[in-house]
Amino acid sequence: MTTTSTSGTRRLRWIDRQAVADIVPLAIPAVPFGFVVGLAATESAMPQWVAWLTAPLVFAGAAQLAMITLAGSASLWAVITAVLVINTRHVMYSAALAPTFRSQPRWMRWIGPFFMVDQTFALAALHTNRSPADFRRYYLTVALTLYAIWNTVVPLGMIVGPIVPDSWRLDYAPPVMFAGLTLFAIKRVPAAVAALVGGFVSLATVDLRDRLGIVVGAVAGVLAGAIAEQIMERRPAPPPRSEATP
Amino acid sequence: MSTAAALFALACGAIGTYLARSGLILLLADRALPASVERALGNVGPAVLAALTVNLAVGDGGIGGVEFAEAAALVVAGAFTVWRKNLIWTFVAGMVTLWVVGALT
Repeated sequence: MTTTSTSGTRRLRWIDRQAVADIVPLAIPAVPFGFVVGLAATESAMPQWVAWLTAPLVFAGAAQLAMITLAGSASLWAVITAVLVINTRHVMYSAALAPTFRSQPRWMRWIGPFFMVDQTFALAALHTNRSPADFRRYYLTVALTLYAIWNTVVPLGMIVGPIVPDSWRLDYAPPVMFAGLTLFAIKRVPAAVAALVGGFVSLATVDLRDRLGIVVGAVAGVLAGAIAEQIMERRPAPPPRSEATP
Repeated sequence: MSTAAALFALACGAIGTYLARSGLILLLADRALPASVERALGNVGPAVLAALTVNLAVGDGGIGGVEFAEAAALVVAGAFTVWRKNLIWTFVAGMVTLWVVGALT
């Protein structure tokens, strides 16, 4: 009994160590981003404590940054729409991990998805063949480690923000980070088409009030991406090569 | 933005984000989304992020208000993203370009 319990504890510790070792490299790029979110919070038209609450309650960097940055310059509904549209990609994560979560206890099915950000999903998707208990341990260790890091970095950015001089132009950090995130999100040709059209239409409609151009650009981009998907599907597949190349 | 409006936006953002993450796990766990819907969802992120980038970069001043240093910062940040595939490099390269080119022009 004691031996079984000891080996079980050892196994859980091994899973913990593996999960932390996996998430730390993925969390490092999130550190400057969280810092920028914290800095942006200090300059937001939102009350600072509400801007801070986005970190523990929304826990989604790009959506937090959009909410914090757009508050004050866009209408309330434009802010909410932007946040929800940005996080639409999480529906895909939910769809992909639904079969794995089916074997989890009810509390895990309710709590686990709260932590499902890009990094958590990327790692969890590689461990779906584990036993339900081991998957749960791995997933929660990854998720809680990232959650702790994020909720440390964002307040740090808020503390440092007021000290940083205006000449450092950190107000321009959000578009720089969004540019990087856009390129990270492009994995296929239709996604590139969606980004290009979204960017150009957003530029063409930049004068619309309440930053409505973001929504107009996003809708145009998604439609263009869907058309690109259709065109690619209709293209005939290349003929198989008859002989191997040296 | 008033405190009430900010709290409302926060509540909508938090609940909506949670529903996006949990919806299919809680409600549709036994069914898969059609492949076409999954592919369409994959294009939402790039389209929204690109629209946000451009809108925030151009700002309220319109296209004429964009400084050369700002445009250069975005181009260099993008190049480093593709090259290094790391957001730390994106941030450092973009901001250093903004400072250096801004000081020179």
